[in-house]
Amino acid sequence: MSLQSPTIQRVKLRNKPSRTADKVFFGVARAAGYSSIVIVVAILFFLSIRAWPAFEQQGILDFTFGSGWDTTTTPPTLHIGAMLWGSFLIAGIGVAFAIPMAISIAYFIEFLAPKSIAKTATVIIDLLAAIPSVVIGLWGLGVFSPTGAGWAQMINQSLGFIPIFQNESGTFLRSPFIAGIVIAVMIVPIIASITREIFSQMDKEVINGAMALGGTRESILRKVILPTSAGGILGGILLALGRAMGETVAIFFVLNLSYDEVNWLNILEPQGGAIASLILSKFGEATNDEISALLAAGVVLFIFTLIINAVASYIVAKAQPWRKA
Amino acid sequence: MSITPVQRPGKAAPWLNLGPRVRISSLLASTLPALISVGVLIALQADFMAVLITFFLPLQLLAGALAGFFSYGRKGIMDGLLLVTTFFFASFVLVLLVSVIWSVVQSGFAALSPQFIFQNNRYITGKTGLEIGGVGHAILGSVSIVGLTTLVAVPLGVFTAVYLTETRDGARGLIRTLLQAMSGLPSVVAGLFIYSMLIVSGFTTRVGIAGSLALIPLMLPTIARVAEEALRLVPVELRNGALALGAPSYKAFFMVTLPAAQSGIITAVLLGVARVIGETAPLILTTLIANETNVNLFEGGMATLPTYIYNYISLGDQTSLQRAWGAALVLLLFVGVLFLLARVVAGGGVKRSRKKKEK
Amino acid sequence: MMDQQFHLESKDINVWFGERHVLKNVSLQFPINQVTALIGPSGCGKSTFIRTLNRMHELIPSAGLAGAVLLNGEDIYGEAIDPVDVREKIGMVFQKPNPFPTMSIKENVLSGLKLSGRKIDNGAELVETSLRRASIWNEVKDRLGEPALSLSGGQQQRLCIARSLAMGPDVLLMDEPCSALDPGSTRRIEETILELKDSMTIVIVTHNMQQAQRVADQTAFFLSEDGDPGHVVEFGATNDIFHGPIDPRTNEYVNGRFG
Ligand SMILES: Nc1ncnc2c1ncn2[C@@H]1O[C@H](COP(=O)(O)OP(=O)(O)O)[C@@H](O)[C@H]1O
Ligand SMILES: [Mg+2]
Repeated sequence: MSLQSPTIQRVKLRNKPSRTADKVFFGVARAAGYSSIVIVVAILFFLSIRAWPAFEQQGILDFTFGSGWDTTTTPPTLHIGAMLWGSFLIAGIGVAFAIPMAISIAYFIEFLAPKSIAKTATVIIDLLAAIPSVVIGLWGLGVFSPTGAGWAQMINQSLGFIPIFQNESGTFLRSPFIAGIVIAVMIVPIIASITREIFSQMDKEVINGAMALGGTRESILRKVILPTSAGGILGGILLALGRAMGETVAIFFVLNLSYDEVNWLNILEPQGGAIASLILSKFGEATNDEISALLAAGVVLFIFTLIINAVASYIVAKAQPWRKA
Repeated sequence: MSITPVQRPGKAAPWLNLGPRVRISSLLASTLPALISVGVLIALQADFMAVLITFFLPLQLLAGALAGFFSYGRKGIMDGLLLVTTFFFASFVLVLLVSVIWSVVQSGFAALSPQFIFQNNRYITGKTGLEIGGVGHAILGSVSIVGLTTLVAVPLGVFTAVYLTETRDGARGLIRTLLQAMSGLPSVVAGLFIYSMLIVSGFTTRVGIAGSLALIPLMLPTIARVAEEALRLVPVELRNGALALGAPSYKAFFMVTLPAAQSGIITAVLLGVARVIGETAPLILTTLIANETNVNLFEGGMATLPTYIYNYISLGDQTSLQRAWGAALVLLLFVGVLFLLARVVAGGGVKRSRKKKEK
Repeated sequence: MMDQQFHLESKDINVWFGERHVLKNVSLQFPINQVTALIGPSGCGKSTFIRTLNRMHELIPSAGLAGAVLLNGEDIYGEAIDPVDVREKIGMVFQKPNPFPTMSIKENVLSGLKLSGRKIDNGAELVETSLRRASIWNEVKDRLGEPALSLSGGQQQRLCIARSLAMGPDVLLMDEPCSALDPGSTRRIEETILELKDSMTIVIVTHNMQQAQRVADQTAFFLSEDGDPGHVVEFGATNDIFHGPIDPRTNEYVNGRFG
């Protein structure tokens, strides 16, 4: 008793003068934390109210899934279905190209390369992930497009009997195929970096166990490493897919936008779509109706990337109960 | 009785003695297909990619499988195939990525000169050559716009990290989720956001500050995430030590936690700047591009490095493209320096804390 | 004694990590169907030594080695010997249980066969015998499809033993298999070891003096003094090591006076 009461007393004494200061400190921290809520709500609110006229005029479903962009009709036809599908198509091509390459790089760095090379390669991959997309776009336009068109022509000549590789226009530039590869170059470092991180966090004891059982490189990769890290890698792929969907300038310069017609799968034809590129290309001389429609397109894009990101973080969190968070 | 250590002999790794079968077959497998393919390439004058995909790759896969089989029997086949595919994919994409860097360095270097760095584009017309004009105004514009963004986003992000690590507030989960959502925000949508909120409403026109504001939601999640990690790495005992001495929370934070997390916070800032300095789309929507030098964020257009590149790619003629390459090189250097600084700071931080532990 | 061939035998094993000499001239003989315990203070190189016996040692980048390990008279470090083959014949159980997290209990037992690409005929039977030999069958027979991580630590360790047994190894290496387990589980594993030794040669690293006396036929005492490389101070029948050691340091260690 006699020991306790002075201690309590002291805490009170020491705490008193600083209380207001601490209150201010935690108040500022809380305000900063809540600013995220304010920003996200503001984004949704302002985009939505400005976009609403377009949704109302065009009808939400027609706007999102119909095609055609024509300001001469009354009311104007402003539908983004072709662009929305194009975003998915290009992002899909990009991801399909990027996955095997990124996983190969990550496997090479983490399990094959000697320490010194692995370290350097890690830095380089992280650095490549930071290349601004406008630079990738410039490269895509100035360097890659002619080469990529050559590849596309070769694919068309040898595999043209398959419908998706047909090409009636005679030019192989500015196609979803080329845009997809440019996107792949952009997201390979992202996926590789995440995958490498996941590989490196794997319990090495488990791999040792597999080796002590006489596992070979290939069987350990297929039976132990990939199953254990699948959830994390899938999450990384979806994050990259979200990035690819939202990418603007890198695609803008290497893709021929076609508003009126959905190019479902003819990936070598020089017509495609991408919502972000649509916004960029129409923004300059947009009428009021178009501005509203572009904002609405932004809302649709944001919602789809939100869904993809939510699924990604859900998978990362839930798919691997054995990994500590 | 003491045991004297023996110096490690030169050959202390018997597992490197692979035996002639392994050595010969892997030597053959790694050289023959390439040599034959080069021969075919020269003899037929065929297209490089065509030979690579239709001839070299199948041959190399076959060689890898055979080498695996001769070295280790049946189970070696899959290992051989795995190594060949891994190397092929990894080097294929590495060639593409190196091509990006190489073309920027090569084409960009051709445009580079002192005046390209320091001059603005005031006197540029369609006929002006590369001798006149540069990215000086765009560098200043980038620094001003990103500078303002940084001034706002860094305190906001760091205090968000404080909120996430130092309080027990119930909304932390929600805010983490929102930060994650914000980090996936397409940059063009960030531009549209400011456009719809401030420019359509007539609060402001397309000036520098609108661009700065548009970059905040892009920069904030990066800073908050990296800063949170940095704060989490500070040992609890350190902070508790300060609190146990009777320091109020804010003093414990500013005098103990923050200094201990210093290098992590600096890394957060550098990575945040690197994240937005190359952003193009939001600035195109919110800030008019100018040819003159302007550092007034509240009035007039302003060029930045990424929008400068965008602008000159759009113009499309030879000289304009060269300017774009030059600006791309400058931008890439900015990003590279930021990135390497971040690595150095982060590495130094680790070393320092390790030294402390050793003491 | 001169020409007797042992099942497993290490000859003048020396180990370096980088330039640091950590094991010197370790020559031990492991006769068939006997359990050998390796004892000694922490850091004297027991784990390092046992890892040289199935070529797990070479996975550490800075590792160096001189000497030979003979399995049935043949050097496992010989030229053109595939380490994968060695590890199939010489199984290993680690200090920390490491079942494969993505696999069920049953899949874990069969994992070795799948990893080494062997055919699995009558898998169900193999699963049962392996789990029985590791004395865990009764506890898991109704939940073979559940994830391996749903087991307790001791059960996980016995599952790892069953996983090694399914490969039909000639030799089983165990590096402190009980150090992360409770006394009950430890007891079960000791019983398992005694049952297994009729069909294979066992080497076990342990810090537990009672355990060594309970399970081992012969014991080797490792020591590394003042930064000198680790070496074998005394090697002989377990009874001799514990009740009539020749070297005073062995005496001090087994009676708990240092280490
Ligand atoms: N991967 C490694 N790299 C460098 N040194 C190591 C490594 N593993 C072990 N050592 C060193 O080798 C010595 C023996 O370690 P170890 O075999 O783990 O001892 P024990 O198992 O007897 O406790 C120790 O001094 C340890 O520091
Ligand atoms: Mg040990």
